[in-house]
Amino acid sequence: MLSYIYKRTSNAVQVLLFVSIITFAVLQWIPGDAAQLILGSEATPENLARLRTALGLDRPWYIQYWHWLKGLVQFDLGRSYVFGQDVVTLIQQRLPVTISIAVFSMLIASTIAIVLGILAAIRKNTMVDYLATGIMQLGSAVPAFWLGMLMIVYFGLELKWFPVSGYVPPDRGLGGYLNSIAMPSIVLAIGEVGMLLRTVRTSMLEALGQDFMDMAKAKGLSSFTIYFKYALRSAMIAPINVMGLQFAKLVGGTVVVESVFGLPGVGRLILVAVEQRDVFLLQGLVMFVTALVILISLLVDIAVMFINPRIRIEMQGE
Amino acid sequence: MAEEKVLDIENLTIRTQRGRTLVDGISLHLYKGEVLGVVGESGSGKTLTAKTILNLLPENLSWEADRFAVLGADYLTLGKKDTKALVGQKIGYVPQNTGSYLHPMIRIKDQIIDGYLRYTKNNRGEALERARELVKAVGIRDTERLLKSYPWQLSGGMRQRVNIAMALMNQPRLIVADEPTTALDSTIQMQVLDLLKTVNDLYETPVILVSHDLGLVKYYCERIVVMYAGQIMEAATVEQVFSNPKHPYTRALIKVIPSLNIKKGERLAEIPGQLNAVGTAGGGCAFKERCSFRQEACEYTIREKTVADNHYYRCNLDF
Amino acid sequence: MTAMVVGLFLLSFVYTPHDPNEMQLTMRFIGPGENPRYILGTDYFGRDILSRIIYGSRSIVLVSFVAVTLGSVVGSLLGAVAGMVKKGPLSAIIMRAIDGLMAFPGILLAMMMVAAIGKGQEGAIVAISVFMIPPFARLVYSLILDSETHLFIKAASSYNISRCRLLFKHYLPLLLPRLITLFTACIGTAIMIETSLSFLGLGVQPPHASWGLMLNEARQHFLQYPYLAMTPGIAIALSVLGFNLLGDGLNDALSKRRSR
Repeated sequence: MLSYIYKRTSNAVQVLLFVSIITFAVLQWIPGDAAQLILGSEATPENLARLRTALGLDRPWYIQYWHWLKGLVQFDLGRSYVFGQDVVTLIQQRLPVTISIAVFSMLIASTIAIVLGILAAIRKNTMVDYLATGIMQLGSAVPAFWLGMLMIVYFGLELKWFPVSGYVPPDRGLGGYLNSIAMPSIVLAIGEVGMLLRTVRTSMLEALGQDFMDMAKAKGLSSFTIYFKYALRSAMIAPINVMGLQFAKLVGGTVVVESVFGLPGVGRLILVAVEQRDVFLLQGLVMFVTALVILISLLVDIAVMFINPRIRIEMQGE
Repeated sequence: MAEEKVLDIENLTIRTQRGRTLVDGISLHLYKGEVLGVVGESGSGKTLTAKTILNLLPENLSWEADRFAVLGADYLTLGKKDTKALVGQKIGYVPQNTGSYLHPMIRIKDQIIDGYLRYTKNNRGEALERARELVKAVGIRDTERLLKSYPWQLSGGMRQRVNIAMALMNQPRLIVADEPTTALDSTIQMQVLDLLKTVNDLYETPVILVSHDLGLVKYYCERIVVMYAGQIMEAATVEQVFSNPKHPYTRALIKVIPSLNIKKGERLAEIPGQLNAVGTAGGGCAFKERCSFRQEACEYTIREKTVADNHYYRCNLDF
Repeated sequence: MTAMVVGLFLLSFVYTPHDPNEMQLTMRFIGPGENPRYILGTDYFGRDILSRIIYGSRSIVLVSFVAVTLGSVVGSLLGAVAGMVKKGPLSAIIMRAIDGLMAFPGILLAMMMVAAIGKGQEGAIVAISVFMIPPFARLVYSLILDSETHLFIKAASSYNISRCRLLFKHYLPLLLPRLITLFTACIGTAIMIETSLSFLGLGVQPPHASWGLMLNEARQHFLQYPYLAMTPGIAIALSVLGFNLLGDGLNDALSKRRSR
């Protein structure tokens, strides 16, 4: 068990290392170096040279990479030249927005997926099941940005339920905060719900076919106990794993959604970095977001192990 | 009272949705205090019959019967909920000994008491007390540790004891044991069956013992029903079956029971051929392909006969 | 639905009711159905929406098919190499790199590629194809490892034939159906990424037509003219749905065939 955690963690670190290599390599491709991009095309060669030295760009790539990597380990993600601020500061300002919509959409998506997935499995080939399948297909086919636009028109303009765009921090009123992130979260959730729903349904169907379900029925337990205590307990592991994976997609999705709803989040920051080709900002952001995602999937993996008593007990034995 | 029918099944037929017949018009009766052995190869329909009694028939199968009374309640008219309650409250189920009948992620104690809690007004403490008693009664010494365990921490024999204890929690008035000793060592097989027999003796709980092993079952039953291809070939008391078997299939089964004084180099006896699909008999005998006494008439007709002392058989011949 | 998308694509070469880029400032914001000459209406610049939809299918089909093809070829080769070499550092490095690629959340990788290569169709193609490498590499890798237990593969490898020959003659027929299924499923994803990128202004550049871009352009005006956002959105949803369903269908057919 402990050795598994160790293995899994070291695996995650390796993956992160490769991520950093890929990121670094890809962004080295950007034509014209950072100094050129900062100073613009009219910069004098002397100025360029001076800035290159200051930024360390005149040194060979592996030294640059090494320095960058060293910075990463110390949570120094570099400095954005578009904003003239540390990347860490920029992220700190914008992270609450992104985390809010990510967490809320995860909550919405998993609630829908679990409830509907269980119902669809229990009432296989009925209306509920077809409804679930429909949501699964539509959810993964409707582009989030379009859905967002439709919701803005309908719920924002027609019904005026939610503000059309913008973000209200929670310290300026919880109601306003929830209102401002409601639509983005829903939009994001609908994109995620399909995959989750499918997993819940499949693993629930599998659990329902197990022998212990026969036993539970023969004991005459209530339907609630049968489905929630017996079936769901063994059916939950796969969906939790998928939730961890989906979280990654979700973070990627925030870029689009934040753009549609005009939210000042990390996703918007990424878009700016790409548009302005702010290499340091982009490098830092990509590493930060990816590390976050890897960390979450690592935690999910470990959590799943603790849910499973078999592994838990074998660990105590060690 | 001795003649009270615990189980009264007339002409039970089980079909798939596509109309394939799996169990073909069988009748079963079980009297109070009795142990009834239902014997047959896999595919003979014996487990499906047991599942019908337990209300566990898979959804893609359907059953019909002229009469289906369990413990005086008629399944044909009983509602879904009431059937479930009846099974949970009054029937104990001892499943095949695969670990899969116990939930791997729930502690034994929670699994053993939840059915009890559902049908009594007692609280958790009392339920656990009863569980402890029963677990001790089925011969487990380290009760506390067992109750705290998960199923996969136990050996096969232990799990089956737990299953029996669990079946006894609600003081059942009928026990359905479906191949309770498959995959167990032969010494443990005996222990498990001894245990069931003890329960039967002590509480006079009638038991249906489904098994493929005629040699094992004969020590524990009063009556035996031999099934083949979804039909009952012969039904009689153990003595009648062994001293005076009327059906060639029963005879073959008795012959294949391995005995201890088997000679060196001698092959174990077997019944030639394979179980053919149910319903292919086409009016004739279901066993005809493998029967060594086969006659021309067996192709078209079959005779059901009941001789002295309720000895039923389904064969054109008389032995 | 898939046929519809492909049909639109083919149609775009022969016929559009109007020049998709022709601007007629007198004809701005004609709603759908208001003018029989512009069935689906016109946009801010007075361009015919129907023509732009038809024309836009070109970029969708082009980008997604080319990108997925590229990605599948590169990915399958990488997976095949890793699978054939098995133990040894090369295989480990390839698979770790694949894990690394997969670790990038969502369209982040694609965006990063765009930043490196530049906005536009080529950028989008490369970005999406890189995105498509991991699933193919993983599939091929795991299938090769799985099928090593097959007797005929064992027999073939005992003949000491070259690895290349083993791969193409023996593994390929085994892999092909699964690859085709994955390919189809990936087209849907590719369309989604392409439209997302062009929606963010990182894909096909104006004045060219692309469904995502049309939605992006619609953003400034759709509050007054919601119809601007309807058609391209529906077009995207239908085509993604079409390919997803096709992928599912193939998958079902395949697993049925295997179980038989």
